[in-house]
Amino acid sequence: MGSAYILGVYAQEESLLAAFRKLKEEKIEIADVFMPFPVHEVLQNLGRKSRITIVGWFFGFFSALAVLAFLFYTAVIDWPLNYGGKPSNAFPSFLVVTIVLTIFSITILSLFTFSMRAGLWPGNEKPIFHERATDDSFVILLDKTKVDTERAIRIMKETGAIEITEKQTGQKA
Amino acid sequence: MEEKIKLSGIYITGTLLMIGVGIAAVLISFLQDPGRGWANVLLNNVYFVSLSVGALLFLSIQRVTHSGWSAGFIRVPEAMGGFLPVAALLFLLMIPGANALYHWSHAEAVARDPLLAHKAPYLNLPFWIIRMAVYFALWILMAVLLRRISLREDREGGLGPFRRGELYSRIFIFIVILTFSLAMIDWIMSIDAHWYSTIFAVKNFVAAFHHASIVIAFTVLLMNRRGYFPFLNKSHLGDFSRYIFMLCIIWGYFWFAEFMLIWYGNIPEETAYFIPRIRGEGWAFFFYANIAINWLLPFVLLMPLALARNKTVLKIVIPFLIAGQFIDLYIQIFPGTLGTQVLGFQEIGTFVGYAGLFMLVTGYMLTRANLYPVNHPFLEESRAHHT
Repeated sequence: MGSAYILGVYAQEESLLAAFRKLKEEKIEIADVFMPFPVHEVLQNLGRKSRITIVGWFFGFFSALAVLAFLFYTAVIDWPLNYGGKPSNAFPSFLVVTIVLTIFSITILSLFTFSMRAGLWPGNEKPIFHERATDDSFVILLDKTKVDTERAIRIMKETGAIEITEKQTGQKA
Repeated sequence: MEEKIKLSGIYITGTLLMIGVGIAAVLISFLQDPGRGWANVLLNNVYFVSLSVGALLFLSIQRVTHSGWSAGFIRVPEAMGGFLPVAALLFLLMIPGANALYHWSHAEAVARDPLLAHKAPYLNLPFWIIRMAVYFALWILMAVLLRRISLREDREGGLGPFRRGELYSRIFIFIVILTFSLAMIDWIMSIDAHWYSTIFAVKNFVAAFHHASIVIAFTVLLMNRRGYFPFLNKSHLGDFSRYIFMLCIIWGYFWFAEFMLIWYGNIPEETAYFIPRIRGEGWAFFFYANIAINWLLPFVLLMPLALARNKTVLKIVIPFLIAGQFIDLYIQIFPGTLGTQVLGFQEIGTFVGYAGLFMLVTGYMLTRANLYPVNHPFLEESRAHHT
């Protein structure tokens, strides 16, 4: 399942934005953009919305319920003990453990979810599309099978790409 | 960006009417029951001094952290800090009421009570008044310094006033953490002189910061509706909401830590504070409403980013929180001073009167300077703020 990509490398934020706007205007689908720092306009208009916050909320909600249920089961149903005359269901004191374990669960589960979705599990090597994408350059990635290659390359040249290359990879971006 | 505002006739008349209602309410409550009158005065004094000190703390934190987003709005907390001299005057008027409010101020009660006698070196009237004077002297001094440096920045520009303002802010934060905590112990916790809680001062300190942020956000929103702060965008709203959201969590955390440890420890000396508030006639509603309004409501409503950045949602949540601070102080002050649960025209009217006075003074302070800090190094960043 190999894919071929066209890479437009830009040195400046301004030229990247010019290319980004132009490509959007011409309805050329952008597969991904690599940036050394987040550029708000690109993040907003790329059309890739992260749902990790929603997932995180559900992780938190269900782990809070699970922890409370566990505490209730151990302290009230399975093995009620009398601690200083407190009711077995000492609800306010359960909350501290619930808060701490909920934060822990959200962190760990979100980390795993993110790693799975980003393909960062052990043994999976993610392709590096361009050496300078990990350094100081802005790189626009276009899927060769989905775009009009000649038109895209022309736009990239017009907007001041310092380098335009192609790359074959074994994996999708 | 140079713009000065003028208070409209309606605003001045409105606030004066509110003050009139307040004076009527105070008179009625003093004629009926002086104890109730003093409790009301104490509650509202603490409420509005919290707003002023909290606003100056907000301002100082913006300065110390070099926050860009809030630079355009700093005149609002500065103006709220301008209420401090008036608050000092109102606290001076409260000194004759100390006998009605504080059990420990009666010499015969101290003579009969070994615990109060033990606390007498700290809890006695002359020292209480001296401490109050010291707190206000320090706060007013710092408010004046912070305001002056900000106005000098307007005239001169450059980084000099900005750096000096940061230094003052650091000093203010240091001072206010100590003095405001002690003030809360002196003014509220000492009502129940037998009881103590080590987290009490911190909880009230955070409550002051929490509600000052709320009032700052509300003022900015209302002024924006009249066409001021034209650069206010969703990112600013999100940041205001984040302050409210974060502080509601911290406040709720402290509130719960105090309650849970006392509940779990179950020591009669400590639970004596909560038993009348939970089981007493009429108090339970306010006890639970306190945590529901001040923590649960902003926690749930301001969590989703879409709601946190919505003006309408903020305008609905904020009035609840303004009432929430009243309930918070009400449940802390009234059970210990009055003992019976009363909430009528006297309480609401007094609050309305104080609110009118606060609005009048804050509004007047806003007219005294440019609405925007024209030479603030971060003003442009604030106007173009985007998250």
